[in-house]
Amino acid sequence: MTNTIRLRDVNLHYASVAFRERSLKSLVAAWVSQGRSKCDLNDIHALKDISVRVDPGERIGLLGHNGAGKSSFLKMVAGLYPISSGSREVRGTVRSMLDLSLGFEPDATGRENILYRGLLLGLSPKAMRSMEAEIVEFADLGEFIDYPLKTYSVGMQVRLAFAVSTSVGGDILLLDEVVGAGDARFMGKARARIMSLVEQSEIMILASHDLTTVGQLCQRGLVLAGGHIMLDAPIEQAIKFYEENFSK
Amino acid sequence: MNYLRGIWAARYFWWHLSMSDLRSRWRRSFFGLFWSMIQPLGLTLLLSLVFSRIFGMRITEYAPYILSGMIMWEYVVGSVIGGSLAFVQADAYIKQTRHPLAIYTLRNALTGLIVLATASIALVGWVLIVMPQNLGWCWLAALTTFPIVGLVSWPGATITAYIAARFRDLPHALGLIMQAMWFVSPIYFEPSTFRNGDLHALVDFNPIYHLMQIARAPLLHGQWPTLENYAWSLGMIIVLGVIAILVGRRCEKRVIFYL
Repeated sequence: MTNTIRLRDVNLHYASVAFRERSLKSLVAAWVSQGRSKCDLNDIHALKDISVRVDPGERIGLLGHNGAGKSSFLKMVAGLYPISSGSREVRGTVRSMLDLSLGFEPDATGRENILYRGLLLGLSPKAMRSMEAEIVEFADLGEFIDYPLKTYSVGMQVRLAFAVSTSVGGDILLLDEVVGAGDARFMGKARARIMSLVEQSEIMILASHDLTTVGQLCQRGLVLAGGHIMLDAPIEQAIKFYEENFSK
Repeated sequence: MNYLRGIWAARYFWWHLSMSDLRSRWRRSFFGLFWSMIQPLGLTLLLSLVFSRIFGMRITEYAPYILSGMIMWEYVVGSVIGGSLAFVQADAYIKQTRHPLAIYTLRNALTGLIVLATASIALVGWVLIVMPQNLGWCWLAALTTFPIVGLVSWPGATITAYIAARFRDLPHALGLIMQAMWFVSPIYFEPSTFRNGDLHALVDFNPIYHLMQIARAPLLHGQWPTLENYAWSLGMIIVLGVIAILVGRRCEKRVIFYL
């Protein structure tokens, strides 16, 4: 019951070297033609002085434009990006659904992909086999579960990924834009699932542009803009603030 | 230590990756696994026909020499060049989960090791037919080749993977470097060829020679590998390992930016 996230003055920079000098050739070339660089690319300051404290069982919605820092925020919490300053303390196992197509093998069937994704998340084949039936049931893909994944629509992939990610257990669930791709019936199930997870004192952070979904699923909202947290308030208030200030 | 624990915790995952590499490698091919044996055998036949004429050696004995050199060298080159793409290939996984990055190069090293093991069956078969007198307890030493070359290529691949994540044209440069190393090492050419040319250093101080000797001494000459062979190989493992750990410590967290 001690799943918490504590962020204190977190800054995140994307290193500019990542999109400069991508080859030995250009490195040598830059070395030869010293100082005559055409354009200067700076490090991107993606998150600025973020301080947030999340307690067990909280469901948080991230609101903000494209590029406001929502995905960066989630990836930083997941520990994928190294922070450049401040302190990040996350207690609990993180389960993230940040990019769906990633980690699926298009040639393998849905059933095999359940196993693969489970292994990716660090589980044993035995544990996955015991969970398979439940996951198949929840994903509710009918006969398609035995078809190769490349025959799936985006919505079906979302359902499968969501079913796996929420079944394997974990304490902190990070979702990026994805839940919206399911149909109405699945959304209902997903909502029920998230609620039951949260009852087990799990933390959920959801980034989405779909204000109704966010409104229904979350109780607290963070409005992001330009890497800053503009507002941290109950979700109704946050949605109102977002609509007033950014949706015009 | 923590790092090793992370690798162990992810064992099902990299094992699965490695197996699926093998499956996709042999999927939809009639000979499947046997391609790993047929390919080097065919090439060996061709090369030994030519080289045995040039160097005036008996083809039956020279061919296993070439074959042993070929399959081991293939493995080293495959791990180092293939391994240099390990992070780039695995970007989907790296961007999604936080496993120790070394598992992605371990995957390459492991896949190659299984291919090497398959190919070496052909070599052992050949030697048994042509030079049955070599069979003896010392063949046990040949088995130590597998962990040793594995432990050489894993850190080797890890180092190149880190550099290649930053500089994407590294594999081309590596191809050139490996080619150069091939020329100055007794891989297809016999050590005597180098010694006759008064190039003793290329044999005695060449870790590649000592590495290959661990398999060659027992299989081809019926002798135990020397302590020197093992010392050189171990030295190589330690040097590469230390470099890999140092590079990893510095760059591991930043790799995600480069993908």
